[in-house]
Amino acid sequence: MSVTRRELFSRLRFGGSDTPDFADGLALSARGLEDDTFGQAGRAAAPGIKLSSNENPVGPGRAVLDAITGRYGVTARYPFNVTPGDAQLIETIAGQHKVKPENVILGAGSQEILKVAVWGYTNPARHLVTATPTFENATGTARRMGHPVIEIKVDSQFRLDLEAMVAVSRGAGLIFINNPNNPTATVHSAAAITDFVERVRRISPDSVILIDEAYHEYVTDPAYSTAVPLAMATPNVFVARTFSKAYGMAGMRIGYAIGQKDTVRPLSRLALPFNISVLGSAAAITALNDPTHMAAERDRNTQARAFTQKALEELGCKCTVSQTNFLFMDVGRTAAAFRTACGAQGIQVGRDFPPFEGSHARISIGTMDEMQKAVAVFRDVLRPATAGGGEA
Amino acid sequence: MVTRRDFVRTVGVGAAGALGTSWIGARGREDSVWSMLEPGLHAAELQGAVIRCRATKIRSGQVRPCLMPSRARLVHLEPRPAGIRARPRNFATVLAKSLGVQPANLSLGCGSTQILRTATHVFTARDKALVGTIPTYEECAGYADMLGHPVRPVSLDRDFRMDLDRMVDASRGAGLVFYCNPNNPVATYVGARETKDFIARVHRLSPETTILVDEAYFEYVTHPDHQSMIPLAIEDPRIVVARTFSKAYGIAGLRLGYAIGHPDALRKMNNWDNASGTSSLNVLALHAGIAAINQGPAFIDAERARNKAARDFTVKWFADRGMKSTESHTNFIFTNIGVPARGFRDGCAKQGVRVGRDFPPFEQGWCRISIGTMEEMQRATAIFGDVLGKKSVAAA
Repeated sequence: MSVTRRELFSRLRFGGSDTPDFADGLALSARGLEDDTFGQAGRAAAPGIKLSSNENPVGPGRAVLDAITGRYGVTARYPFNVTPGDAQLIETIAGQHKVKPENVILGAGSQEILKVAVWGYTNPARHLVTATPTFENATGTARRMGHPVIEIKVDSQFRLDLEAMVAVSRGAGLIFINNPNNPTATVHSAAAITDFVERVRRISPDSVILIDEAYHEYVTDPAYSTAVPLAMATPNVFVARTFSKAYGMAGMRIGYAIGQKDTVRPLSRLALPFNISVLGSAAAITALNDPTHMAAERDRNTQARAFTQKALEELGCKCTVSQTNFLFMDVGRTAAAFRTACGAQGIQVGRDFPPFEGSHARISIGTMDEMQKAVAVFRDVLRPATAGGGEA
Repeated sequence: MVTRRDFVRTVGVGAAGALGTSWIGARGREDSVWSMLEPGLHAAELQGAVIRCRATKIRSGQVRPCLMPSRARLVHLEPRPAGIRARPRNFATVLAKSLGVQPANLSLGCGSTQILRTATHVFTARDKALVGTIPTYEECAGYADMLGHPVRPVSLDRDFRMDLDRMVDASRGAGLVFYCNPNNPVATYVGARETKDFIARVHRLSPETTILVDEAYFEYVTHPDHQSMIPLAIEDPRIVVARTFSKAYGIAGLRLGYAIGHPDALRKMNNWDNASGTSSLNVLALHAGIAAINQGPAFIDAERARNKAARDFTVKWFADRGMKSTESHTNFIFTNIGVPARGFRDGCAKQGVRVGRDFPPFEQGWCRISIGTMEEMQRATAIFGDVLGKKSVAAA
């Protein structure tokens, strides 16, 4: 019997009535939960079903857990003093992608990759180009530094507006492309991304393009494929990946970047040394060497997502075309109202995502059992307002 | 292609060429240098029976109590240990309580490395130098160098202690003084009274200068005037103390460190690094950290005593053979072996004992040796004797 992610992390969840609260700015995001990072929801996780942070609800699997517990004896050692350590993790990632170790750098979650990319490639004269809504880590980092940010609203299909992003790319330091895009769940094809990169490079060859593929493993659209080959063939382009989503290890904080050596090596100088724990290295290597687990996770998510989407659309909630482990849908009311109502019945859903917080909510996909329970709550919460919305 | 100047202009202030030369790599102290100096010798080759006496942390067996709660939470293979009630988000609260400070006085890091880097980034600039001793733990100097921020090195005194008078002089107009006490790699300690006086002198001469007191080895100090600078730091935004769980607490592999200071100082650090590290901390480290604290002072007392006994044995072994060590208040010793550290290191490695890397300007005669268990040090000294041509008593 496998250990589920719920079993694994339910006791690691933030908050609790018997425990004092963290100081602002200290606590949160230790496991990369966006809602904790951005502080709009879920600080005190309600008991029940957590559908707010796009994590894998079934966890990394027994082999990974065994790898972690099997390395307890070396926790006194630095990551470079154990085998497998961070060097072996880089080699394993490189082998998976058929690149050289020099093309890979590690991050404490892909958040560190995004952070050092903004640190390194934007400045007061070289702006960040990003979307809205999208994963806000890069945006927040640039704003804290006082570096200019140009946000391009997603198009009418809730996809990244690549055309408009090209138009503002001239002179940019960094262009952040989240594909599939969080929170809208949409994806662009490999051809569209290739075309985008070519066009940006024609008008702004010094701009660096970061393609965040955090949800890569969940995509089922045949037109999509990873941009890693594109990054390897193109200067100033690199891809970020994470073990926090489909690999089920958000709490371990492991991410990486792949690109040409001259593009990614400078980032390694800004990334923290020893940023992956000895347990994390062993876990990630084990996960990468178990492709069947990933295939099963993709299938599980696809089924639960289809079930949820069908139920929601029967309730009148239109969803974007999801290629991820979450749905973005029109709930006919503010996300806050929907979140509060669901929370009252034990279902924790996503935070606000401006500029759509007045109408749209994000729901992470849990297990089929969790989604069946959640859908019952959604029916209760949405029925009156949906009907009302239709009359308006 | 993005130029080096483009790249560092953001994070640093644009020192052209800063990435290329003297900076020894982000992995400042241990691994990269080890790898750079000895590329053919990796941990994988030495796994198993090897005794490591270089990176300074305690033996793995002693961390088991810290790991039990993580294990329980991970796979439920054993009952939840009694007394472990705190959850990860409360790590800072537990830590603050143990230190007698408020959570607002803490900033967490992925090891103290993140704390040191962030402080260097925030408090130095092209016109605000970093002051530090030569040698010392290189993280701050390496990072400042990468940023193109000036570094003012200050030599140690003849007893290998920080030369406080010269450091005060060097601090005028500096952005940050890195005060590693006890000092790695030389192991010496400056007492609390002298340290407080030093801090006061620096601030009289250079009121805007921040002093980063790195207390990584604080738990190992056996000096009679032993006192943390935490009480000063929480009252004065110009003082920050760095600590780590990588040394006496024995969880280097989990990456957990922290800063203690005035909220105004920590706010600057947190603003730069997105709440300074909280997104980089793994949940198992947080649990282990809570468990480590909850062991109470008895664990550290025992570890300090164990280390001192093994350290005394090792220092005496060298002294009996005419090799003097500095006065160590850490879990390593810095010893005048009379031959280049590299040759000694190579000779020891061939027999399964790993000792410290080069520490210029003392690499031609001095070596840093981390303290293992007593049994390990007994075995190690026999090998030291063989390599140095001086048989140990046990081997004679």
